Amino acid sequence: MAQTATTTGGRARTRGRAARYSAFDIVRRGVTHSEWPRSFNEHELRTTYDVVIVGAGVHGLACAYYLAVNHGITNVAVLEKSYMGGGGSGRNTAIIRSNYLTPEGVRFYDRSVKLYEKLSVDLNYNVMFSQRGHLTLAHNDASLRTMNWRAEVNKLQGIDSSVIDAKEVGRIVPYLDVSADTRYPILGALYHPPGGIIRHDAVNWGYARAATHLGVEIHQQTEVLGIETAGGKVTGVRTSRGNISTSMVINCTAGWASTISDMVDVKMPLVTHPLQAAVTEPVKVFLSAVIVSGSLHVYVSQTDRGELVFGASVDPYPSYSMRGSLEFTEGLAAHILELIPSISSLKLLRQWAGLCDMTPDYSPIMGVTPVEGFLVDVGWGTYGFKAGPVAGEQMAQLIATGRTPDLIAAFDLARFADGRLVGEKGAASVGH
Amino acid sequence: MSPSEHWRIERQPGEVIDRSQPINFTWNGSPVTGYSGDTIVSALMASGVRVMSRSFKYHRPRGVVTATYFDPNCSFQVGDEPNVRAAHRQVREGDVVRAQNAWPSLSFDVRAANQLVGRFLGPGFYYKTFIRPQTLWPLYQKVLSRFSPGGEPPPIGTPHEIFDKRFAHPDVLVAGGGPAGMAAALGAARSGASVMLVEEEYELGGHLRYGGVESLAALASLRAEVASFDNIEVLTDSVVLGRYDDNWVGIVQRSGMWAKERLIKARVGTLVVAAGLIERPYVFEGNDLPGVMLATAALRLTGLHAVKPGTTAVVFTANSTGDEAVARLRSAGVQIARVLDARKGDDVVRALGRGKVTGVEAGDGSTTEADLLVTATGWTAPTSLLNMAGDRPIWNPQAARFTPSELIDIRVMATGGIVGDGSTAELVAHGRAVGSEAAARARGEVPQSVAALTPYPHPALFQSTTVGFVDFSEDVKSKDIVSAAREGYDSSELAKRFTTSGMGPAQGKLEMVNTMAVLAEATDRDFESTGTTVWRPPYAPISLGALAGRAFEPERISPIQSWHNEHGAKNMVAGQWIRPEHYGNPAAEAANVRSRVGIIDLSPLGKLDLRGPDVVKLLNLVYTNSWDNLAIGSVRYGVMCAEDGVVMDDGVTGRLGADHYLMTTTSSGAGNVWDWLEMWLQTVHREWQVTITPVTTALVSINIAGPHSRELLSRVTDIDLDPASFGYLKVRTGSVAGIDDCIVWRIGFTGELSFEIHVPASYGLHVWQALLEAGKDLGVAAFGVEAQRILRLEKGHLIVGQDTDGLTLAYQAGLGGLVKLGKDDFSGKPELVLQEARAGDHSHLVAIETVDPMLVPPEASQIVVNGNDIVGRVTSSRMSPTLHRSVCLAHVPADLAAPGSRLTIVLTNGDRAEAVVRENLAFVDPEGVRLRG
Repeated sequence: MAQTATTTGGRARTRGRAARYSAFDIVRRGVTHSEWPRSFNEHELRTTYDVVIVGAGVHGLACAYYLAVNHGITNVAVLEKSYMGGGGSGRNTAIIRSNYLTPEGVRFYDRSVKLYEKLSVDLNYNVMFSQRGHLTLAHNDASLRTMNWRAEVNKLQGIDSSVIDAKEVGRIVPYLDVSADTRYPILGALYHPPGGIIRHDAVNWGYARAATHLGVEIHQQTEVLGIETAGGKVTGVRTSRGNISTSMVINCTAGWASTISDMVDVKMPLVTHPLQAAVTEPVKVFLSAVIVSGSLHVYVSQTDRGELVFGASVDPYPSYSMRGSLEFTEGLAAHILELIPSISSLKLLRQWAGLCDMTPDYSPIMGVTPVEGFLVDVGWGTYGFKAGPVAGEQMAQLIATGRTPDLIAAFDLARFADGRLVGEKGAASVGH
Repeated sequence: MSPSEHWRIERQPGEVIDRSQPINFTWNGSPVTGYSGDTIVSALMASGVRVMSRSFKYHRPRGVVTATYFDPNCSFQVGDEPNVRAAHRQVREGDVVRAQNAWPSLSFDVRAANQLVGRFLGPGFYYKTFIRPQTLWPLYQKVLSRFSPGGEPPPIGTPHEIFDKRFAHPDVLVAGGGPAGMAAALGAARSGASVMLVEEEYELGGHLRYGGVESLAALASLRAEVASFDNIEVLTDSVVLGRYDDNWVGIVQRSGMWAKERLIKARVGTLVVAAGLIERPYVFEGNDLPGVMLATAALRLTGLHAVKPGTTAVVFTANSTGDEAVARLRSAGVQIARVLDARKGDDVVRALGRGKVTGVEAGDGSTTEADLLVTATGWTAPTSLLNMAGDRPIWNPQAARFTPSELIDIRVMATGGIVGDGSTAELVAHGRAVGSEAAARARGEVPQSVAALTPYPHPALFQSTTVGFVDFSEDVKSKDIVSAAREGYDSSELAKRFTTSGMGPAQGKLEMVNTMAVLAEATDRDFESTGTTVWRPPYAPISLGALAGRAFEPERISPIQSWHNEHGAKNMVAGQWIRPEHYGNPAAEAANVRSRVGIIDLSPLGKLDLRGPDVVKLLNLVYTNSWDNLAIGSVRYGVMCAEDGVVMDDGVTGRLGADHYLMTTTSSGAGNVWDWLEMWLQTVHREWQVTITPVTTALVSINIAGPHSRELLSRVTDIDLDPASFGYLKVRTGSVAGIDDCIVWRIGFTGELSFEIHVPASYGLHVWQALLEAGKDLGVAAFGVEAQRILRLEKGHLIVGQDTDGLTLAYQAGLGGLVKLGKDDFSGKPELVLQEARAGDHSHLVAIETVDPMLVPPEASQIVVNGNDIVGRVTSSRMSPTLHRSVCLAHVPADLAAPGSRLTIVLTNGDRAEAVVRENLAFVDPEGVRLRG
């Protein structure tokens, strides 16, 4: 693919301008006591940009990076009303996988995993991608049937994914109770060896650092107040720090995606739900794989620091609240102890919530809208972080070429009017 | 290690230890003796132990800092329990206590070599290395994970101990049992409110407990007064975890009851936050050496546990607590080598020593020999609960701490150190006033303001001129925050995330303000513009066990389940239900239904009793078909679609009387459908008169199916079963096996003549046994879910959720005949209208036959074209005992849906098989002769 070549070329540019990260450089700076330079350049907000990206999460930052590195488009501003990576990109549970249900979904997320695999090298920033394996447990024959379905679709797309039995599950994760006499016996699991976890902050910062050194400007604490149009085309953006003229605006927000789209009267079939997560205090590492249980509405992984990171399905009501609830932690703990009964003395340290824009078919909305120059990369539900690199790469290609790439064609906004939904509910609802 | 009375001082007036009760435990394998009432750490200090742990990153020796629950250096492994807060946990006889994070031993830790390369291990060093070669990253990762800071996970097989939960509804809940908190409880109780007073330590009193004689006297009288009120419930060793919407408050009770821990959930009238103040460490070189501790730690150890923390001390003080520490240490026999007074411009530049304090260098360059350095440099208000109530605290530069802003929620108030300072009498007066007002607000009275308690001025002291640790548990130094800021991680959130300062077990309680101060200075900003990070619940860590409670997962079983178990049933989990999958031979069970008669326990079937004049309107709204002309005594099958036209449930509803219907749903959909109906009634059509009563478990449902089913039923019922009067899709009520008011209807999921009986649940087993008894000569036998699945598949009846998925519209499921677009409106209509307009342009549910009749393609096998392009899948597949060949349902695209179309199926083992689309969904009896017989 042509992009690969340009990516390599771009990397050379990155390396030329940003401080190089390596063990050697760490030692060199340690010995000479020389400080690391700024990773993110600061800029005054200018009055005109070729492209304005709304939202400095992983999607916006990746889009900016690929615009610069793959297409040489660098007159780009990324606007962020708070701090970069502070929304869903810093609140997710950082699970990466590609074992989706629809062929469209599988192809798309597979590209994302591939990009993640080489992201540390591409960005010269260790994003700590740990491909430790991902297990989706089946506790009844209905979920086992869905796991089989996913495995079959995955295999035909060349994804490493298969259904394994309870004994094999117990071998991979000895702490799981795989005995048959539990309330929700583990009948088997969808096993996806390339799945794993990542340091989400590192991904955000790595993209931001690489993009800014290619000339992109990231403006934090800069809120978009309005988007100007004339004759059905984007002409500018009003922000809390001044006005910008531009003909291209990309909505890369979550939680506020419909608010931003409303600014140009583009209606989005989105409902925003909180998604809660929690983390325990650390213990020595005992859990190798990522564990997901759809029936028990819970997923868990253990970081290299030893903390258990928990998540669940979205809260059952729409809300913009980013506060955790007590009920969530109760249900979470009960379900975790069903799976791993020995850890009742581990302590929950912190809980939080993020906002998820849910679409009717649990697939995102990407591409053009009826307003010329207003593109969207939204509706990421509970699966946005996984897709950061591929979404950025494909949106950048769309911006640069004006043509919607095949990989994202199925996710267009028009599908809701045309009745072409891409049903990922079965793999995405608690599918972390 | 022998108990060394050398460190235990004479009896103290406020001591909490019982010298008549020695407690023996082991520390890293060596025996130690403390007293009842000692914390693990105070017992160790009394025995001369000074090094409590090794730090996370550099493995530096660490000692006591705060001597509280949140002491960053005192997390131990106690038996199988990791991360025990040993400066809080009272020592118990026989405890096996070990240091965490040290290898091979606490005194010699090889990973302390990390200190030598410390200059390379700056913030985020791991982001900057291990990038190439990529193939080595998994190995690096394994090494990094060895540095995980926690204890050992409990071994596999550790039992879930007994945890409990409790609900409470106090008028006033006071978080914090110091003087102001006790006074607030008293103020509220005096005006008649029910009060819950929650204290995180083992006794009420807060700082009065380790104060002087006057403090102890005041405490005694407050305690006595609290004890005199029956309407104050005191919870000690308990912590308020969080304040959630509408004053929903979580509290964990950690000891003092029969359960190991208990989670109390309280709906509180007025919440009074009296969390006091947390003393803040000072940042300077060597501030993490064992022997450097806070003034409150010194006061606690001496006052509560009668332990002398050192022999020669330097005290760096900026406030009266530091002054008090000087006096206390002196009276405890500690030599005060020097007092450095920040209010007079003194400073501490560095603590000297390796592995322990040996001296202190002051700001004037002089050095004093000492083994103890006590600092009293300021306070942090733990505003966590106020944050959770929507308050954004304000930096008060005169007091050098955050204080609450104007509290938005009138049902949340604050008193004590968190809002201001005062003498004991002033704190108590404020507490009483707040408590009394809290009770008034809980009664719903118009809020009155309470005279403010203002903080004392305090010098702003955060860091010295040298580099020191800001976060002990995360091993973050002040220079790490400076370099993070210079690298661009210069907002409080980014700096926190990049350095991990404040991310450890204390969650910022000790670290946040110093982190902010260092960051503010590094970025040349003031506190206001540096911002804060949000305190998130829980305030204190809580065990998973306490959150889970008894880990009680309900299990639903039919009243007939005992019979099933006695007759060889192999059970399956079906949502909340446990039910028989089969009794040994599902194919034979199915064959028996086709040839003779079988009975199945369908009790999990969702059942809703609907009454009222507007039931028909509701049915027309939620089902796709028409219900206008359903006669009394008839039943009808219906399909429910969500608003996007996707099939969500199906079932039979019968009309029992003019305004009385019984609706059945799928077993798994029972709860959702009830929600769904109530949603329409309560939010959209509140004018409709419909009452819904879920009766799923009130009725046992038994299906009698097979050619002999009429004969069998006729032997036990007074209902006229003559087909002329009780035809297909009719319902009758009457007596079955002597039980009145049974509901019997004729439907046919299995494709056979069948009667479904709904019996009052307590008589279910009786009716079941009567049927078996009455039909012995007819060959009646029980059949399970698996036989039913085979039978319905032979008949081509779909199962919602198996033959449909989250996107299947009614038309795609072959249910188009049940969609009446002529109806006014119904759920899913707009989408179905759209789909109808382009009929055929979507996938279809069809029956298929494999070319090889003996091949049963696994469910989920994919249907492909052009090699590997997925176009459909097999949704149901079984070997048919009736036809002796495989029978399948599948989703296929429109261009492959015509009868006779040939399909390629990829089996799960990778093999490919050919199949043909059939004319009709039903393999057996497509005309329905058996059904209607």
